[in-house]
Amino acid sequence: MSKKEKKIQVEEPIHLDIPDDEIWTYQVEGLAAPHINKPYKHYGLKKVIFALVIIVAVSLSVYFSVRTVQKDTYEYEQTQTGYELSKFSNTGYITELNIDYVSRVEYDKENPDVETNFNIIKDETKKVTSVGAYALNCDEKVKVINIGAEVTHVDPKAFYSCWALRQIEVDENNPNYCDVDGVLFNKDKTEIICRPCDHDTYLAEKYGHAKYDENGFRIEPTEEDANYEQYVKDVLTYVVPSSVETVGELCFNYANMKNVYVPEGLKTIETLGFFEIPLLENVYSYKTDTEVTDTHFTTEEELGEVYVSLPEGLEYIGSDAFSYNQAMTYVFIPESVTHIGHHAFWDTVYKEGDELKGVSKINIAVSEESFDSNVKTGDNWRPQYDYLLFKKNIDVVYDSKRIEN
Amino acid sequence: MSSLSGKVKALFTEIKTHWNTPAEGKYVPYKEYKDVVFAVGSNYAGSKVLEYIGFFSACYLIMHHYKLPYLTFSVISILNKPLDYISALMWWFVCDNLGFLPKKTERKFYFVYVLMMLFGISTILFDYSQLFNQTSSFITYLNGLEGMNATACFKTFGTHFLYTGWVGARNIFWRKKLLPKFGRYKYSLYCDVVPKCIMVILIGWLPVYEIPDVATRVWVANLMFATYNVFGFANNLETCTRSISPNLQERIYVRSYPVKISHFFNTIVGIVMPAIIGTLRYEWADINVYKYVIPITFIILAAATMIFAGRIKERIPQPPVEKKVQIKFWDGMFGVLHNKYLLINTIKDLIDSLGNGMLPFVTILYFYTFRLSGLPYSLLVILISFAGTPPDLLSPYFLKRFSYKQIMIFYQLSRAVGNGLIAAAMWFCGDNLNLCGTICVVVLFFMEMTKTVPTTAGHDMNVRIGDYQMYLSGERLESFAGVFGWFTGPITSFVGLIIPLMLLKYGFNSNWDVLFIDASRRSIIVVPIIVDVIGFLLMTIPYLFWDYDSKKQNMVMEVLKRRAEVTEKKAEEAGEAVSGGYLG
Repeated sequence: MSKKEKKIQVEEPIHLDIPDDEIWTYQVEGLAAPHINKPYKHYGLKKVIFALVIIVAVSLSVYFSVRTVQKDTYEYEQTQTGYELSKFSNTGYITELNIDYVSRVEYDKENPDVETNFNIIKDETKKVTSVGAYALNCDEKVKVINIGAEVTHVDPKAFYSCWALRQIEVDENNPNYCDVDGVLFNKDKTEIICRPCDHDTYLAEKYGHAKYDENGFRIEPTEEDANYEQYVKDVLTYVVPSSVETVGELCFNYANMKNVYVPEGLKTIETLGFFEIPLLENVYSYKTDTEVTDTHFTTEEELGEVYVSLPEGLEYIGSDAFSYNQAMTYVFIPESVTHIGHHAFWDTVYKEGDELKGVSKINIAVSEESFDSNVKTGDNWRPQYDYLLFKKNIDVVYDSKRIEN
Repeated sequence: MSSLSGKVKALFTEIKTHWNTPAEGKYVPYKEYKDVVFAVGSNYAGSKVLEYIGFFSACYLIMHHYKLPYLTFSVISILNKPLDYISALMWWFVCDNLGFLPKKTERKFYFVYVLMMLFGISTILFDYSQLFNQTSSFITYLNGLEGMNATACFKTFGTHFLYTGWVGARNIFWRKKLLPKFGRYKYSLYCDVVPKCIMVILIGWLPVYEIPDVATRVWVANLMFATYNVFGFANNLETCTRSISPNLQERIYVRSYPVKISHFFNTIVGIVMPAIIGTLRYEWADINVYKYVIPITFIILAAATMIFAGRIKERIPQPPVEKKVQIKFWDGMFGVLHNKYLLINTIKDLIDSLGNGMLPFVTILYFYTFRLSGLPYSLLVILISFAGTPPDLLSPYFLKRFSYKQIMIFYQLSRAVGNGLIAAAMWFCGDNLNLCGTICVVVLFFMEMTKTVPTTAGHDMNVRIGDYQMYLSGERLESFAGVFGWFTGPITSFVGLIIPLMLLKYGFNSNWDVLFIDASRRSIIVVPIIVDVIGFLLMTIPYLFWDYDSKKQNMVMEVLKRRAEVTEKKAEEAGEAVSGGYLG
């Protein structure tokens, strides 16, 4: 017998001679004896122990689980300079959030109205100086955030996916941040940090375009409406001030915006800077000698020289910067660009029948050779479309000239 | 060459001779092998299609349309836990007596289940939270739960009563009616398939995801998915094939060949369906996936399943259903607690819970690292899942060559190493997507390759545990085995909160787009994987105590056969009508 054969267990046929009256009691060698329709020893005691163990285990589990999922509305971490707002968990009824002092919720037991029966109590001896990443995450209730004078650091991901957020207001004495009409900037306005997801509702109300249905939901005007053109100018168009050099990480994500004007001086568009803006059709750049501070669009003439797509002087396009913007149709990469992150224009093209819609090609100012040697590109920076059941990169047109506005 | 052709010829003759009647010592004719291919193929593929539907955050419907907070699923599970404990008692009692209860007990059970349903319906119609002071700490606590408010909590709580009552009452009714005819594993297909198809259609077409308020969306979605879950369509026919023969070797042959071949149906569905989905404008995020693609695919497979289901037989040596051992509640409890091998499994599962709450890594790899869709997605999925097929064809060899203990310890160690490599790739080259993705795919390929033999061993170990339990207690007590979950449940449910809370801190809530941020994706993936690696290493320990070998198993089967033989003989002598027994 070979070594291998020896290792393989050979099962020999087994026959057990079990008398008829022993079928329920016959014990196989090496295994426990059957226990069928026989009482157990110490039956009562075992039942009690069993029940007690279960009750204690379940009670402890429920207690600790309940404690674990219970979160304070405001959670802070102490830092060297003060307190950081690390997590805000909405009670379901807080629509305005002040980030200035360590706060807590206190309920008014006399008031049965859940929407108004609470007060926010502030401890003015404890100043909030920073807001951590994902402090607000997918909140659906907060509409306004007020940032206090002492807050010196706001993480770019601090207000992630706050779907109802319309305005961020900053105390004018804040040394590091300011706001321009409800949008968060750094103090010298060289970086636009966060345009709230629902900023368009704020603008619609401000310019008299807001209409609501019987359930309180805003009705979005359509192209058939008489004042739609004005609505697009007032609400769906945004002018980035001329001082801005950086569009921050996640800055415009999920904005309801059709046109955006960016200044020729903009150098950086960070990761997910213009991520998933389904309505975004046009990115315009403008070159002006006068300072533009108003983010409200009136006419192109006021912005100086306007041209389509990304501005001359732009150097950095972060990963997923324009992903999922299928309404965009034209992209021009200027000569100044040196970095394009992975998936920068991902899913901006799609097929309708045999026709490519969206960004069907990318125009590049420089030659292929120059582009390859000077521009660092991430994986799949070009969008892809369905091609014979697979995916194909869209074409790149080198040595391209920017189209006229 | 001639010896090969001789072997093929002999095989052909063997199949032809025993096409309708099995060979001596065997139980399954080859015709049934053919039926297994079609029956299990459509059932397995259909059940796999249903994996795209569920009340969990990684379901694409929840991910792209419902957008529910991640922690909410844990909150709902805590809300449901107390009732689960109570309802499990009744459930086990019914299941392990195969639905055959004394008349009086049956009436009591129906009464309790109907009461539960009525209470559940009342919570849905009325807002019980209004009975409490709205500023009490209880209500403010409920209002503060992630994605919930007091109203939603009460309705979710009530939904679970409705679900439990409904499922419980159906369980008694249909088991009693269908089990004697169709056997314990496949009877449920006959009563569930039509309502399941209707629910699959409704899930896609009811616009519950358009409800703007998250708490309302949560409880309505929970109600809808609970109703969907009332009706099952599990991989019942494959389960049935695990008991297709009392001959251990024949069981493994059926599992290794016809069952494995049947999985090609799923491979085809796995290629075609994502390819079709890839042609939709928003791909997996397109609601037409749930309105058309999944329902149509599922209904075709469900119909095929029902056509072939009747041709598969279960052959567990057992006394006739009417003569089976009646299991008293406490006997059932203590019966399973005396099963040493169930205890080993339980400890292993307890350690495994360290990874509970993890996001599905493979989904993230495909969608957020590689951004795959359409045919490339299908091909990669198939490539990886196919990796397990060749080794599985050699399962009978491996299972003879190595002990189950060795196989399972190897499995846990290979998971630990594989996951460790993935964590390292994600950590050190997470922003170089192609490199990181390629490393992960290669590791996944090898992990899949080394998974199928242990999976087969694991299934067979579970069948053997059931056989051993039948030897110990006179019944398989598969449901009473859930009592171990009573002890581990409190621990696993608490441990299962650790990872979701960790993920929340790293930015993962209801919006999966956070995984497009490289730094966040890294933390969200790597830390839970490391926790899982520790779990896999620890899981080797319980298997060191596994000593249930083939010899013991064969002796147990002999005892079971003898019991069936003697019981049926006595029943016949007494002139009693019997059904559902099997002598082996």
